[in-house]
Amino acid sequence: MPEALVIRNISRRFGGLRAVQDLSFAVNEGETVALIGPNGAGKTTSFNLITGYYRPDAGSVFAFGREIVGLRPHDICAHGLARTFQVARPFGKMTVLANVMTGAFLRDRRMEIAREQARQAIDFVGLSAKEHTPARDLTTIDQRRLELARALATQPRLLLLDEVMAGLNPAEIDQAVALVGKLSQRGLTIVIVEHVMRAILAVARHIVVLDHGQKIAEGNPREVVANPDVIRAYLGTDYAQAASVGERQC
Amino acid sequence: MLTTVAQAVVNGLLIGGIYALVSIGVTLIFGVVKIVNFAQGEFVMIGMYISYFLASSFGIDPLVSLIVVMPALFVIGVLLQHLLIRRVLALGDMPQIFLTFALSLLVVNVALLLFTANYRTVQAPYSETAIHLGAINLPVAKLIAFVVAMTLSAVLWVFLHATDLGKAMRAAAQNRDVAMLMGINPDRVFSVAVGVALALAGAAGALLMPFYPAYPLVGQVFVLMAFVAVVLGTLGNVTGALIASLMMGVAESLGIQFVGADSGLIVVFVMLLLTLALRPSGLFGGRSR
Amino acid sequence: MRRFTSRNTVWICLLFGAVLAVPLFVSNSFAIDICIRILLFAFIGVAWNLMGGYAKQLSLGHAAYFGLGAYTSTILLIRYGVSPWIGMLVGGIVAMLASLPIGALCFRLRGPYFAIATIATAQVLMLLFLKFRDFAWGAEGTTIPNLGDAPLMMQFEGKAPYYYIVLALLVIGLVVTYCIERSWIGYYLVAVGEDEDAAEAIGVDAQGIKRNIYLISAFLTALAGTFYVQYIYFIDPNTAFSFNVSVEAALVSIVGGIGTLWGPVVGTVFLEATSALLQSWLGGGHGGVQLTVYSLILIAVILIRPAGLIGIVTEFYARLVRSGAATAKEVRLDA
Repeated sequence: MPEALVIRNISRRFGGLRAVQDLSFAVNEGETVALIGPNGAGKTTSFNLITGYYRPDAGSVFAFGREIVGLRPHDICAHGLARTFQVARPFGKMTVLANVMTGAFLRDRRMEIAREQARQAIDFVGLSAKEHTPARDLTTIDQRRLELARALATQPRLLLLDEVMAGLNPAEIDQAVALVGKLSQRGLTIVIVEHVMRAILAVARHIVVLDHGQKIAEGNPREVVANPDVIRAYLGTDYAQAASVGERQC
Repeated sequence: MLTTVAQAVVNGLLIGGIYALVSIGVTLIFGVVKIVNFAQGEFVMIGMYISYFLASSFGIDPLVSLIVVMPALFVIGVLLQHLLIRRVLALGDMPQIFLTFALSLLVVNVALLLFTANYRTVQAPYSETAIHLGAINLPVAKLIAFVVAMTLSAVLWVFLHATDLGKAMRAAAQNRDVAMLMGINPDRVFSVAVGVALALAGAAGALLMPFYPAYPLVGQVFVLMAFVAVVLGTLGNVTGALIASLMMGVAESLGIQFVGADSGLIVVFVMLLLTLALRPSGLFGGRSR
Repeated sequence: MRRFTSRNTVWICLLFGAVLAVPLFVSNSFAIDICIRILLFAFIGVAWNLMGGYAKQLSLGHAAYFGLGAYTSTILLIRYGVSPWIGMLVGGIVAMLASLPIGALCFRLRGPYFAIATIATAQVLMLLFLKFRDFAWGAEGTTIPNLGDAPLMMQFEGKAPYYYIVLALLVIGLVVTYCIERSWIGYYLVAVGEDEDAAEAIGVDAQGIKRNIYLISAFLTALAGTFYVQYIYFIDPNTAFSFNVSVEAALVSIVGGIGTLWGPVVGTVFLEATSALLQSWLGGGHGGVQLTVYSLILIAVILIRPAGLIGIVTEFYARLVRSGAATAKEVRLDA
């Protein structure tokens, strides 16, 4: 399968802090990959590096065969990568429809076409009823839906989702998982940063684990969950030892 | 030749101290309250007028008037934060900019109405005297202003790093939400920040009186200098503002000496444009991307 | 909004008709002068609003382009005998060209620091023109030769023609704003104004948008500069690059309704009317009164009604036509 995204040895430091160190992984087209790790592991920074908000000190990023390091975020979006932000950033003054249309204009500048595309994206995330609501009046969750719809309106081939499930109740998580599933069925390549294990296990076949800016594990969910390095990163050394003891006893 | 340069540098440093007081205030407010005080220069002007009236009515020396000027401006600062600034904090960039900008307009024009555009000066016993270090001329008034300015800056530094309130201010500057979670009352911290900033501005005014005239628009000159220094020294960085102000003073002075009498302003703008072109985040800032 | 289009159009036509008819009914020179001033500053406000209102790039240095427009046409007129009509367009182009390097530098800063940088650039231009006597008459400035009634040279005996010219400029400004507002450019502008980074994430070339809107804004502002010189027959650096021009450009938009089509017009009418009332009341001669009042109004607007006075106007209008959807004009950009 062709590779949608290839990260090769990217690094970035901020002053004395090495936010991302020598990170490499690849995502195949159509795959859903989860990027996990404790807080401060460098997940969002990686997204920012991939989407052009920061420039890596070293390394390269290939998206659909093209080197994208050095491109500005809007060019990267035009190339097919869309992202959502950890904290939703809607254009508060504009309505839901206008927000999403702004995304749709990337592919077609005509008002009617953009409106139609926007409506489809809004419908997909379930915000049709609030089409004309100003974005600043939406609930946090609806703002997240808006964020997703807006990203989808740019017709991406690769979608980077940053903690879309944070703070959702179980029913909402199921809805979100269903949405991600549907996107995957449409052939979208997805990289999802997440803390909610249930969601990760439901959508991702492949997981990359970061800690302190470095990749410490990679593999399918079963492998990763049992990996002592992963356990140590999240829970500390004691649990890692207990886990490996537990494994032997099973 | 060397003496001329040295003299210009010295002159620049001396006035740079005053710029420092003004710019530290601006950068302090920006760092802590995240708002740009366009009216900072007007508080220098208010300091000057208070000092002037104390001198002309009671014969109080401008240096002594600091005792009155600084607390008075601190109180004004607290009131300003409490009555006006607090109300626009949630409104976003634009209303904030225009609020302090409108305030600046208001204060200048009220001053014009009350005091007219006439220059007011104060003659202190040391207004005309100077110390001579070799071939270098050190006007006493400016020297005192510089020393006091540096002292105040040092005191501020100690305050910010060694006292709880000062540390609280720095914490709020770095991350307002987390600071609140740590039990820091943002309102109180903001009030102190604005109060201190205005007190410094007022001090600058009082220190200026012995050798600079007071008039309603006087603040505008200093605020422009201050803003460039704040950008050059990196937004929110107090030490940066100090160093940048001294640099600006020297640059202006060298410009006046070697390019022409009214070129000081051009030199300043050139510095601003160079900073923007080469290092927009300032001398002490990180890379922008 | 669509439901009321034909009604809106009727009202706008009536309004426009009334505005067109003003010079026919008002012969008092002073009154016409005020009207011209209102139209001129409304136009400058509209030009500013494109950048400052929609894209939230708060320039306080638009006088730079006002002055460049004014000086370009004047230099062409006096030194080369070129008609100000052509000079006006050339001035606009000069302003556009100037906005490129100025923008490149100033856009590196955001928010208030952008504003300061723009103030600096206007000041630099003023200083340059104060210094250069050779081609621009230095500090004393110059008058333009009075050619009597010379339409081809943009000079007229009465005030009425000037009124119509500046009205035409305002209409052009409003039409440009209207077209932009309803197009993808309008959406992109507001997106950049709201959140530049989020806009970039959905494919908006924020730098490009800012640069382009600056071009348009500078061009229009320069036209106003040329008109002004032709109207008052005089130019000097302090008038041309006056900070007051920059301030008023921003002020009328903010007071009236930033980022709206009619905001600058509403703001100008309100501010100039207040100013004129004050002048007749106090008899002029009080240096700081006008600006004191302006600044108080600005503070009041910011604290009480940050969206500007236009909200009041649209509510009034809505009540007038007894419509159900009161804030039709406020919910912009919804399709």
